[in-house]
Amino acid sequence: MLLAAAVSLLLVLAIVLGSRGLRDFDSALIPYTVATVFLAFGVTYRYLMWISTPAAWRLFRQGLRTAFSWENFRRAPGSLPKMAATYLGFQRFLGARSHARWIAHQAMFWGCLLAVAITFPLTWGWFTFTASSAAGPGYEMRVWGFKVLGFSSSSPFGWAMYHGLDLAAVLVIGGVGYFLWRRTRDRAATTGQRFGYDFLPLLALLTIAVTGLLLTFSEICLHGGGYEFLAVIHMVSVVFTLVYLPFGKFFHIVQRPAAVGMQLFKHRSRAQGEELFACSRCGEPIDTAPYVENLRGTMRDLKLGFDQWAEYCPRCKRVLRGGAYLQHVKRGFR
Amino acid sequence: MMGRTLFIDPGRCIGCQACVSGCRECDSHRGKSMIHLDYPDEGSSVASLPSVCMHCEDPVAPCAEVCPAEAILITPDGVVQEADPTRCIGCSNCVNACPFGIPKIDLAAKLQLKCNLCYDRTSIGLAPMCATVCPTGALFYGTLEELQAERPGVDVSNWFEFGDVQITTGVAMVVPADRTRQPVPGGLPTLPLVQVDGRDVSNAGGQP
Repeated sequence: MLLAAAVSLLLVLAIVLGSRGLRDFDSALIPYTVATVFLAFGVTYRYLMWISTPAAWRLFRQGLRTAFSWENFRRAPGSLPKMAATYLGFQRFLGARSHARWIAHQAMFWGCLLAVAITFPLTWGWFTFTASSAAGPGYEMRVWGFKVLGFSSSSPFGWAMYHGLDLAAVLVIGGVGYFLWRRTRDRAATTGQRFGYDFLPLLALLTIAVTGLLLTFSEICLHGGGYEFLAVIHMVSVVFTLVYLPFGKFFHIVQRPAAVGMQLFKHRSRAQGEELFACSRCGEPIDTAPYVENLRGTMRDLKLGFDQWAEYCPRCKRVLRGGAYLQHVKRGFR
Repeated sequence: MMGRTLFIDPGRCIGCQACVSGCRECDSHRGKSMIHLDYPDEGSSVASLPSVCMHCEDPVAPCAEVCPAEAILITPDGVVQEADPTRCIGCSNCVNACPFGIPKIDLAAKLQLKCNLCYDRTSIGLAPMCATVCPTGALFYGTLEELQAERPGVDVSNWFEFGDVQITTGVAMVVPADRTRQPVPGGLPTLPLVQVDGRDVSNAGGQP
């Protein structure tokens, strides 16, 4: 709790410093800023709660130790960035689940990422856009008060800069549309689904994206008609999503890097040519020896009491159980 | 005691693989079977053992406990669900910790696959696919009373023993009526194995 509060305070400090003592801070965006501060608190708190469970804590330590070990940098300097790109950026594992899901998730992911990259620094007062001359059309983009680029607002680049959130909304609507369709049609998705966990995040993203696009529509086509109402709906949906993020389905965004740590932890043993741990009965490889030891440690932490069983492959466990049933329970089974 | 659940009677299993095929047809995991069919005494007898998730109740779902991503959900009716695809990181902890050897892993998809007692069917009162297609009743879905009405003198046990540890499960196995006071052996060898099928395995466990 204290650490989570410290992270939130750090963010507030960064906002004050980054907006040059609040000179560049846009007070109209205060609800968004408050939501991001709460997000920092919620994510830190939930993350700490998560990694304090025995299984996650062991994996967290092993993953971190491997990812930032000198051994890893020396032997395979490209493995961390490569795995981060394939697992977290391009999410290739989703392609193995379904190509359609991969495309939809990529659209949603990059759309959200683009929106976050634009809006978070804006709400913190880190980005400012100022006219370079009174006559226009030159504009300057400043980060923390320093000019980083100048562009013409009437150029294609200028158009893209001012419509970045519209582009993000189109990507998000495409992805969310597919997932909503899947949640109503695909038995794999509908089995055991829950409204709060599975539908609510999709509906929240859809509301944000649609109201965001409607704001642009109102500005261009309706001369601002309904703008204030739309702005309130948009703000409420964004604030809700940010507050919900640490506690619902969106928490997987924070959890997913564990896949990289886990993979590096296994990859290190394989790269070093260590022998794989073999099943005590059939001799088939189970996994890397450090991984099996880590799992046995987790089982001992949890007082499961049968960690020795992890030395057998799943098939041998079933065969041995069948053999014991044959021998001790129902001899007629033969 | 247990309500409507699956009862497994290996003595009735003829190893026909109908359950494996039926499971593969299930709409919620098309083309992939979640049931295992093993031959524990292959070469010497025709005995076969169908294995589904036993839905461990005490300790509750070791697979979920060892999951570092909190991906395995247990529904209020005691069904241990397959890993949530959003959260599963494909670490295989559940695969290697499960005392019954049930979960599988798709390493490319970074996803665990496991029997969920055909939750799409059982949650609306239908029998799981495997029990529906089993021609001999080795897999029976219903209540204990329904089972005993069909098979007088039969009893079941959901109490398993792995070394010093005892586990109770949501799914049960058929046992002789005089054996309900003892746990069903889980098969964990009490002494290290030295020979399997004439092959020396005394040095196994770490060396393939």
